[in-house]
Amino acid sequence: MVNRLFPTQEIGSLPKPPWLLSYLRGNSLDRSDLDHLEKWSYALNFESKSETLEILNQPKTNERQQRLRQLASLFGIRFLESSGLDIVYDGEANRIEMYEHAIRNANGFEFYGRVRSFDNRYYRKAACVRRVGFRVPYHLDEFRYVTEHARKEVKVPLTGPYTLAEWSFNEYYQRTRMGTRTDLRTIKEDAKRELLLDVANELLKPNIESLVQAGARWIQVDEPALATRPEDVPLFVEAFNECTRGVNCKLSVHICYSNYQSLYPHVLELKNCSQFALEFANRDSSRKSAYEQLQLMKDAGESREIGLGVIDVHVNMIEEPRIVMERILMASKFIEPLKIYVNPDCGLRTRPWDVTYSKLRNMVAGADLARKLTGA
Amino acid sequence: MYAFHLTGNFPRPDELIDVSRQLDRGRTDEKEFEENLTSSARKVITLQMTNGLDKLVDGQLSWQDIFRPFSELLDGVKAGTLRRWFDNNTFYRVPIVYDRVRRNEAPITKYYRHDLIPNRERRKAILPGPHTFAKLSENTAYASFADLVDDLAHSLADVSRELIEDGYTFLQFNEPSLCRATSQELEIAKSGFELLARNHAKIMIHTYFDTVSHIIEDLLDFPVDCIGIDLYANDINAFDQYSFSHELSCGCVDGRNSLIEPVDQIVELITKVRDAIEPSQLYVGPNCDLEFLPYTVAEKKVRLLGDVRRRLNGQ
Repeated sequence: MVNRLFPTQEIGSLPKPPWLLSYLRGNSLDRSDLDHLEKWSYALNFESKSETLEILNQPKTNERQQRLRQLASLFGIRFLESSGLDIVYDGEANRIEMYEHAIRNANGFEFYGRVRSFDNRYYRKAACVRRVGFRVPYHLDEFRYVTEHARKEVKVPLTGPYTLAEWSFNEYYQRTRMGTRTDLRTIKEDAKRELLLDVANELLKPNIESLVQAGARWIQVDEPALATRPEDVPLFVEAFNECTRGVNCKLSVHICYSNYQSLYPHVLELKNCSQFALEFANRDSSRKSAYEQLQLMKDAGESREIGLGVIDVHVNMIEEPRIVMERILMASKFIEPLKIYVNPDCGLRTRPWDVTYSKLRNMVAGADLARKLTGA
Repeated sequence: MYAFHLTGNFPRPDELIDVSRQLDRGRTDEKEFEENLTSSARKVITLQMTNGLDKLVDGQLSWQDIFRPFSELLDGVKAGTLRRWFDNNTFYRVPIVYDRVRRNEAPITKYYRHDLIPNRERRKAILPGPHTFAKLSENTAYASFADLVDDLAHSLADVSRELIEDGYTFLQFNEPSLCRATSQELEIAKSGFELLARNHAKIMIHTYFDTVSHIIEDLLDFPVDCIGIDLYANDINAFDQYSFSHELSCGCVDGRNSLIEPVDQIVELITKVRDAIEPSQLYVGPNCDLEFLPYTVAEKKVRLLGDVRRRLNGQ
């Protein structure tokens, strides 16, 4: 484990390398794909540029695709390491996205089609049509590859049970409760809990256990859907406790764009969670510091580590190290500095590579400044 | 006694999704998009007719969200940043009210395709209600919420008049935010509906996503013909003590779950509602937009409504 003040950590996804996408889609590579590989291989000292290029110049086969995915994973690891982070993963290079990757590798779900997210943007939403079941340990190969190649401490991000259940249609559990009952609201609520607990016990638990058996020392459970229904926080707590019961590794929870006060007091019942990684930078302003919320959390009884979001992932503006430092020091007024980890608000997958890199570098520099100022 | 209808945006068919994505990327032109939009809307209307729905909508396939057309049809409103649409994993652009709201000259026919619905008396249009519109907007122009609701109601009444001229006989105003309205806000909303009710069409106020049992007495005072209730958020037993002089729209097909409900269950529920509340007319439909479902699932939900209709009519 990192042994210094204000360790810096990744929080989730990076953009997908354009050369990977072009190859997987069967598109011919254009100059910008190759320029991307060239530029970043140099910047990151990426040791597998030649092999990557060799594959990109050959026709697509299953074996080559698989190897290219590994190389993209290595590229993500080196990207995060080169930016100076203390705790890394691979930017989720091989996951379609956080929901679909897990659901496509689970039993009990079917994808019917696309549903609008906003404007002309859509996502694929699955229906739970049979009892949820474990099929394969869907992060295991990825984790083994990352641990084999990473030079820094590794933390595995994993989509949590509440988010997987909340983002799915619930057919199976609702159907089993229906019969000719007409109290639709109660049926739906009861079925929601059943689906959630099965996702926790039947899907997440074996996946988490497989990672721990393979040597994972830190797993981050991502729960972005928790922002949707604050009244469901007790359900989330129940599901988290189920899928992490008896698990012997560090566990943290990442939540973003939520009203953190609505999490309390329920989240105090999370039995096996030692860190909350939270988004703050997005809501920070010169008029009111977002980090003052830490005092409210402390007042509510919060005493765990905080993964402090100091980088806004929704804008291309690059935060200066000084801003990062100020945010860390502001947070230090409310919680013990020893309990502060430093991270972006959320995954950086929607930002351009240049922006992502600069943001992470400045985050690391800001943490350095904060350390110096606190004499650590 | 029974009439069947849809209550919100219909999802886009796959080919329309693809064309809209291509349009965004500059890989096709407006003409192809418009052609696809029209053929998709025809498909949605035919689906409703084939299944015997009594009131017909065009599916509102060109709408990006419930407010977006009105940033074009009304002066003083523009589309802002994204915000979550209630407790869904779907987002809308917050209407920014930056100046006095008024109906402008932009034609409504881009967003209300009356030309595609052959039967005038079956034409139904869906609009945002003035309360929800005001509540979910970012108001930078009005000193009071009541003034904003009032001007929105005036503007929506202007749009309504044009819809009636185009043959629409049934106007549904979506008011999900009303479920959490304060007493004062309910009074303001009621005044807004008094403006809307001056037009000669059937007016429905549609509530969804939340319970309305605590405000039902207020709603029954609204000058509307029909009240829509989401039965996935409400227990029907909470309403049987009230005298319903209004017509009732019963949201008993879930627009937020892909499960196709058993016909027996829906029939039993509707019968229970009819016996408990005895509305003068009972509309049967989804609790909300079907847009939260993939297109093929939404099609099945419409067929389900057709099956329920046949069963209730003893066919």
